[in-house]
Amino acid sequence: MPVMNVCYLFIYFVRMKSPSIVGVLCTDAQGHNLGCRGTLSDEHGGVVSVLAKQAASLTKDPTDSPTVCLESDSGNVLVRTHGTITVAVHKIVS
Amino acid sequence: MTTALTQGLERIPDQIGYLVISEDGVLASSGELENDEHTAGVIMQMVRTACRFRLHGAAEPPFKRMSVMFEDYIYAVTISGQKVFVVKRQNNQREPVNV
Repeated sequence: MPVMNVCYLFIYFVRMKSPSIVGVLCTDAQGHNLGCRGTLSDEHGGVVSVLAKQAASLTKDPTDSPTVCLESDSGNVLVRTHGTITVAVHKIVS
Repeated sequence: MTTALTQGLERIPDQIGYLVISEDGVLASSGELENDEHTAGVIMQMVRTACRFRLHGAAEPPFKRMSVMFEDYIYAVTISGQKVFVVKRQNNQREPVNV
């Protein structure tokens, strides 16, 4: 599936360019895992997609896609939806 | 009691509104979030969702702060003393989120 190829390419480039990124996950609108690497996996797909959807309902502007960031002492998880794909990135404090 | 909860929130730089929410409902609201039950409801849903997020089977909650970043504003959310604090702040940064 072309969407999954794009996801794997994205995951590859993100992991290669940024050593502090330890996990990447792409899901569809239903939370199904399209591709993942590292600390993020299948079990996180549902929460990630639901979080992104809930965040989007905070605005009436469908073009203003929010980035959700879960911040902790050890690192951040960033979540954002682009079209039909939701991307989550786990970045640790190095 | 409300003053004690909110006087710190009033002094946050660039804040344009805030909410203090408990399981029973909204305890205080101000600015652009005054009486904003919809935002309060969505933020509480997001807090419950985010608390289910577990990395490496960690026991502790996965975040100290949850930020929801839009183009012109940010919601900063944290939990303290069984209450959820939400501050809406102006987002003056124009560069993309640096991952």
